[in-house]
Amino acid sequence: MNETAVSVSPPKSAVKGPKRGRWRKHFWGYAFVLPAVIIFLLFLWLPILKGIVYSFYHVDFVKGNTFVGMDNYETVFRDPVVWKAVKNTLYYVLLCLVIGFWVPILFAIAISELKKFQGFARIAAYLPYVVPVVVLYGLWRWLYDPVGPFNAVLMKLGIGQINFMTDTKWSMISLVVMETWQQFGSAMLIYLAAVLSIPKDWYEAAEIDGAGVWKRIRHITLPSIRHQIALLLVLQLIATSQGYQSQLAMLDGGPNNATLTYALYIVKYAFNNLNYGVASALGVLMFLVLGVLAVVQHRLSNRGGDAS
Amino acid sequence: MKQAERGILSAYDLKKPANKIAYAAMSLVIAAMVVSMLYPIAVAFFNGVKANVEVNTFPPRFLPKEWHWDNYVTGWKYIDLTLYLRNTIYIFLGNMVATVLVLGLASFSLSRLNWPYRKAAYYFFLVTLFIPPTTYIIPNFINLKDLGLMNTFWAFWLPAGANAFFLLLLKSFFDGLNQELFESARIDGASELRCFFQLAFPLSVPIFATLAIFVFSNAWNEWFWPSMVLGGEHYPLSTAIKRFVIDARRLDTNIRFAILTMVMIPPIFVFLIFQRYIVRGLHLGGVKG
Repeated sequence: MNETAVSVSPPKSAVKGPKRGRWRKHFWGYAFVLPAVIIFLLFLWLPILKGIVYSFYHVDFVKGNTFVGMDNYETVFRDPVVWKAVKNTLYYVLLCLVIGFWVPILFAIAISELKKFQGFARIAAYLPYVVPVVVLYGLWRWLYDPVGPFNAVLMKLGIGQINFMTDTKWSMISLVVMETWQQFGSAMLIYLAAVLSIPKDWYEAAEIDGAGVWKRIRHITLPSIRHQIALLLVLQLIATSQGYQSQLAMLDGGPNNATLTYALYIVKYAFNNLNYGVASALGVLMFLVLGVLAVVQHRLSNRGGDAS
Repeated sequence: MKQAERGILSAYDLKKPANKIAYAAMSLVIAAMVVSMLYPIAVAFFNGVKANVEVNTFPPRFLPKEWHWDNYVTGWKYIDLTLYLRNTIYIFLGNMVATVLVLGLASFSLSRLNWPYRKAAYYFFLVTLFIPPTTYIIPNFINLKDLGLMNTFWAFWLPAGANAFFLLLLKSFFDGLNQELFESARIDGASELRCFFQLAFPLSVPIFATLAIFVFSNAWNEWFWPSMVLGGEHYPLSTAIKRFVIDARRLDTNIRFAILTMVMIPPIFVFLIFQRYIVRGLHLGGVKG
């Protein structure tokens, strides 16, 4: 081996060699990734596979599991409450869009225009996000109480009492209003950052060309934040279709199953009825539906990426 | 912020009366929003210092007639907040260690080290993002039971290392680090372990700080899952508040609010002090609901 070749590429010639050298070369690469592979296998892939297996079993911690074929799935399809839960979930997703989705966009644009107290408004909107959710549950139960402050105002206005929690017409709406109040701050911060990063001379140019305020918002502001809108829309749909925590904490799915979402029904089947097999079957079915949605969303976003 | 002198509206627009009215209306809506954000928090505080009779009168009054600060003493004696706070902090710290060690090393390897089948391993992690966690919540519970992790903090610490979203964030951060820095360290004879702990880790403190905010807010907010996996002694603060305060049948409303206030005020102050960093961290991390 002559000296010039060594001096040109010393690291390469040092590591390239027989198989053992190759293994040594990649040792750290494998070693670093190994713990994560084990953890992902044990705590993500294993439960996912177990869920599919359990959906064909009757799960019993004491006597052991027995294979029951399609019985769990039959139970699911015969259960009228499942369909009620599906309807409730769709209703909840829809309400979250109608009541909640536009709020952070509106406030982001409005706050970006504030001349004073912009920072203060921003912090105030984010405050409920900092407080533990359970504290807010306790608080809003009292606010929604038949003799709470909301009803006091309604009585004074002469509208009369509304049972926000126990009236089946109102219960889901009340939950969505509460969640919107609690969560819109974080989405607003994302929109606000996007709105504030729009170059100001675009507005200047539009104004010179005679575009009014509405036209500027419609043709400059909203198109500029459309990526954030699309992303947060997808995230919200994914999150709300699996929602169950506020329904569980505030009303336990009641009154008369009016706030029983599909995810909550899974949880209840497992921990109230102790029927883990049917609960697993419910989970598998949910995965099939949401998985199809995820693929569709992926296709859509890819197509959008090609077009732009 | 010189550039922000005009927004959508220009100074000229604001001279028109119609726009002036619209701007005033908009300010009013924002003011109403701010009040609606602060009102429930203030209500909790004032209810916590009222006499119990006064909390339960209808229509409710905003300010208390008499100030019963001793409610806080009663509340403090009712529930051992320090124990549950300690549990929350344990869970947070353990989760953070798992995030740094497991996900940090793995994403460093995926981003910086060259080995065969790296792409396949990357997809092995990534695909889990598309599986909604609620769909396997029950088998997950049984799995932890089978592994004998029930009623231990390990049931939180170990699965904390199985987060594809964090892995993705870390990997994209490592991708952006200067490659030559690592090359020169390697030529100087630093092992990969040293490269990670003495180069990559210090350089990525911002992204780990962002992750710390996410991990903390998870540990701070999650109440249902811990109530299934852990026993009363091990409850984090949120679960304890839900089980022992909010669901409690025999607890005076004013004491209840005093406890809620005690749990609510400290994080608000911490947020106000660090809000600049927290908000910046949230932006750095991109988007998370």
